Amino acid sequence: MTGRVFETREFTLHDGPGVRTTVFMKGCPLRCAWCHNPEGQSFEIETMIRKNGDKTLCGRDWTAHALADELLKNADMMAQSGGGVTFSGGEPLAQPDFLREIVSLLKESGVHGAIETSGYAPAVVYRDIIPRFDFVYQDVKLLDAAAFRRWTGGSLSVVLENIAYLRGCGVPFAFRVPLIPGVNDDAASRAAFAAFADGCKVEYLPYNTAAGAKYPLLGRAYPMGAIT
Amino acid sequence: MTERIKSLLDRIFDKEQAKFRRDVDWKPLLDRLIADGIGDEARARIGLEEMLKAETPAFMDGERLAFLRTVREIPDLHSDAEMDARRAAGTAFGEKGVVFNLTADFAPTIRDGLGSRLSEMEERLAQCRAEGDAAGIEFLENAILSAKAVLELAERYRAEAEKRGLDDIAATLAQVPRKGARTFHEALQSLRILHYAMWCEGEYHCGLGRIDQYLYPYYEADAKSSRLTEAAALEELEEFFIACNRDSDLYIGIQQGDNGQSVMLGGVTRDGKRAFNALSRLCLKACGELKLVDPKIILRVDKSTPLEIYELGTELTAKGLGFPQYANDDVVIPALQRWGYELEDARDYSVAACWEFLIPGCGMDINNIDAVSFVGSLDATLRNLAQRCKDAQDGLKYEAVEKGFLAEIQRRADELVEKYKHVEILPGPFVSVISRGCIGKARDISKGAKYNNFGIHGTGIAVAVDSLASVKELVFEKKLVSLSVLVSLLDTDFAGRPDVLVAAKAAPKMGNADPRADEIAKRVIGFWGRVFDGKRNDRGGIFRPGTGSAMYYIWHAREVPASPSGRRRGEPLSANWAPSLDVPVKGPVSVVRSFTEPDLGPVCNGGPLTIEIHDSAFAMSDGVSKVAHLVKFFIERGGHQMQINTINRETLKDAQKHPERHRHLIVRVWGWSGYFVELDREYQDQIIKRMELVA
Repeated sequence: MTGRVFETREFTLHDGPGVRTTVFMKGCPLRCAWCHNPEGQSFEIETMIRKNGDKTLCGRDWTAHALADELLKNADMMAQSGGGVTFSGGEPLAQPDFLREIVSLLKESGVHGAIETSGYAPAVVYRDIIPRFDFVYQDVKLLDAAAFRRWTGGSLSVVLENIAYLRGCGVPFAFRVPLIPGVNDDAASRAAFAAFADGCKVEYLPYNTAAGAKYPLLGRAYPMGAIT
Repeated sequence: MTERIKSLLDRIFDKEQAKFRRDVDWKPLLDRLIADGIGDEARARIGLEEMLKAETPAFMDGERLAFLRTVREIPDLHSDAEMDARRAAGTAFGEKGVVFNLTADFAPTIRDGLGSRLSEMEERLAQCRAEGDAAGIEFLENAILSAKAVLELAERYRAEAEKRGLDDIAATLAQVPRKGARTFHEALQSLRILHYAMWCEGEYHCGLGRIDQYLYPYYEADAKSSRLTEAAALEELEEFFIACNRDSDLYIGIQQGDNGQSVMLGGVTRDGKRAFNALSRLCLKACGELKLVDPKIILRVDKSTPLEIYELGTELTAKGLGFPQYANDDVVIPALQRWGYELEDARDYSVAACWEFLIPGCGMDINNIDAVSFVGSLDATLRNLAQRCKDAQDGLKYEAVEKGFLAEIQRRADELVEKYKHVEILPGPFVSVISRGCIGKARDISKGAKYNNFGIHGTGIAVAVDSLASVKELVFEKKLVSLSVLVSLLDTDFAGRPDVLVAAKAAPKMGNADPRADEIAKRVIGFWGRVFDGKRNDRGGIFRPGTGSAMYYIWHAREVPASPSGRRRGEPLSANWAPSLDVPVKGPVSVVRSFTEPDLGPVCNGGPLTIEIHDSAFAMSDGVSKVAHLVKFFIERGGHQMQINTINRETLKDAQKHPERHRHLIVRVWGWSGYFVELDREYQDQIIKRMELVA
């Protein structure tokens, strides 16, 4: 069983407790207009070409064992700091079989596992995978179905059904809201998010002004254009 | 921060102290010294006397700790022609030739007063006269006059303060520095004067040492007797730290900010007990509030240091100060012992200026006397081998390349040993008065102290190791290119062979926890650690190899074309002990892992792992703790020294365009923090380049 990963990054400081490595899984069913990891959207291996002509291959297939071995090289640092591994993307839940296997390998070594997900996955997958993690960052992007469809290309009801499950499944979680100027950063949206969270933890992520930077390297245009 | 401190701080930033300054034409003095054939020791004394006579007592509004430099330049006491003649006659000098890069033994003189030193010297002088010890007489006569010159200026300051109704200052100066300090405030004033006087005598890179240890008794006594609340102590300390920035723009360095005003905190006491105390904590707090480049803080830690203490340090890192630098007692103390330092002294270590370990008060080590260029050594080796082997790689093995490289390192090291066999240091009678043992021996510190070792930096270690790994892979394993073609490509900057450049960049690199590079590093560092074994200078001292670069990382980069690691022509080297600049590393955890693989004890002259962290790391409240964990991880893996820069590339770029908007932006350069906008472009660009691979 192999999984396709476009980056593993050490010492990610915003992806959970302690010192962590984040695995960015390649491929996502959504197309959020503000996505700052466009190389995580396609499931295919792509080439990024920098301005100076340097080429970087995005996407590498790993067996769960090989990736676990690589991640566990830092197990000492993770143990010392109460850290672990976070799976992000792309959408990690789009590669459930691989995720199931690697999480169990990490668990065997006592490594804390977190997942950051859009929640855009079949309920059966979500319910199978989520309880295998120690912590979940569940994205909440928009709460209006039409707006969700327009900005992400997906159906909100899929996400809401999974969130309903998340609230009751007992795995610790936090909501994450990427604040996008002109899309969901107005007072009414903020109030709606707070009401939706209903006392659960919410992290608001400020808009990444460099979000569009990687699109030209893939020969694409940033859908949001210039937002400052 | 109190209103008074805030106002003192603002006025330092506005450089208000500059209005008190004037220029003095010192040429006539030098002419007279030469014409009269005055000897070195008397010259040093006359220089200090004249300098202090030319000083005018000056006070900034609201200050309670007096003394500020009013004469811009100190006198030159030797002409270039005189120095050249001595060099031609076979004498080597460290940098400018004077006593530098040291920390005096401030504590006894703060405690007893300069008056006590004077009595001791008078007594010793009588003895020397009785014994007919001419050298002793010469030293003591000059040292006595030097100390008197300092006391005379202090008295002028006192009288002027009294005249202006600055009763507070006048009262303090009625006690110190002539008599021993009785309070924390008096101790700080005394330290301020002694330190100031060293600079006036011509010493530079004057460290402050372990102030949390030697000032602690005053702090503790004041606190116990309720003379001093914690808030008041903080205010005192903050004023002292601000005072360290009053004259610092006059202090000599390669770049502005490179002035060696280091403060060492924590660690263990001379008898091995935990030394981190309430005053250490207060020092860190004061730095965090002031956000100034001076003094530069170094924090001693070991594997038993609790995370909480690291966090006090990384809180400063989060503020972008580029310090504290961390030094690992578990590695440094045994390393110093192996080099012949007594255990009690080794436990008392501080740094000379940036990071070269030094024992305050009794070390006259010249810890940065020169450097071996690792990139230059490899370049020479490859050329040599390529010429001998042409294209006939048959028979040539990678091992021969590495062996040749190490032999070249040895050859260059031996050259330095020869070059610095006989080093003279120009005397410093006043600094001798406040150093351990000089009065007893009746000899100037420049003639030798308890420790007289020389330190040699190693520059471009990571680029050299990466280059070896690349040669191994490209030439010997993949056989992509022959050695002689590779060498010619270095001269043409890889022209016409983009494939070689791509392969070179993709070859194993230090910083990725990749054994293919790290094993080479272990062998190279292992060799470097032994390269000076058995070698001595004529002061009886040894040569200490280190992983520091000082400014040589800029200088040595100019001496080589492109590097086999894929470093392009003209690109800088990494400073100190750090990954090559263009290397995409997995992250700081792997960097720490790679750079703690070699045994760093034998290369403990100094030279920290230097890593950059993006300022967004501290956007979340637990960033401080996570970075603290990273430092702790480094220490627990046997790292010797580490420093962290917190910066943002965009901010640095903007500061180049609009320096006026970023006057207070602080960066860690090589072993010190400076204001980014005050650096030369070359140094600025190197720092920006370090940031390129940091998210």
